[in-house]
Amino acid sequence: MPIRVQLDRVLLDRRMSLTELADRVGVTLANLSILKTGKARAMRFSTLDALCRELNCQPGDILVFEPGPPDADEGEAE
Amino acid sequence: MRAMGPGSVSSLLKVALDVVHVVLWIAIGGLLLITIASLIVPLPGEWTADLGEGAGVELTPLKIAPIFAGAAGYTAILLFVVRQLRRVFATLTAGDPFHPDNFSRLRLIGAGLAALEIANMLSPVALAWLLGASTQEGRGIDLTAWFSVLVVFVLAEVFREGARLRREAELTI
Repeated sequence: MPIRVQLDRVLLDRRMSLTELADRVGVTLANLSILKTGKARAMRFSTLDALCRELNCQPGDILVFEPGPPDADEGEAE
Repeated sequence: MRAMGPGSVSSLLKVALDVVHVVLWIAIGGLLLITIASLIVPLPGEWTADLGEGAGVELTPLKIAPIFAGAAGYTAILLFVVRQLRRVFATLTAGDPFHPDNFSRLRLIGAGLAALEIANMLSPVALAWLLGASTQEGRGIDLTAWFSVLVVFVLAEVFREGARLRREAELTI
């Protein structure tokens, strides 16, 4: 997917573990892991809001657009 | 009464399907046994079939065996449909109707029902040919049955979309 999640980089900058972030944000560790590994298909504004608040960052710090071909299963959504 | 989950209508229907499943296995076993027995064991006395054409047709083992083999085949298709239906109902009982496999199961059910309907249409012709009857009229096209087959295929597509939406929801963080 052209949208890449840079959660690992932001976490490294903040010296915060994924488990700690999961506790603070109120999202399960499994779901945050899906997000971090780029397997997520969509993100709620409420999740993005909580992440930005806890990591003290902007949405653009977490999400980056990288031009490239879409995933094979993305076409099914339309 | 709830439609899905443990103790629901779905679970009751699944129990009914379990019973039908066992009965169909017994029926197939019985029909195959009769097929084999009709070839091995000689018929006691003379057996004739009345086809409404005056004189009856003499039934020989080579005429009886294919009839029972055909019936076993028909029952096997029915069993296949019931097996797929049981699996669909198992997911309904578990409260997971949009299981990713239900789409292909419903398509298989549709294919099975279509095969049964074709068998229904062709069986009179096959039977008449086997027994050497002069009239070989097949059953006409049953629009209700074919419409039901179509509905099952449409339902399969609905379940595919449901499974896709479920996956999307699962991967929405």
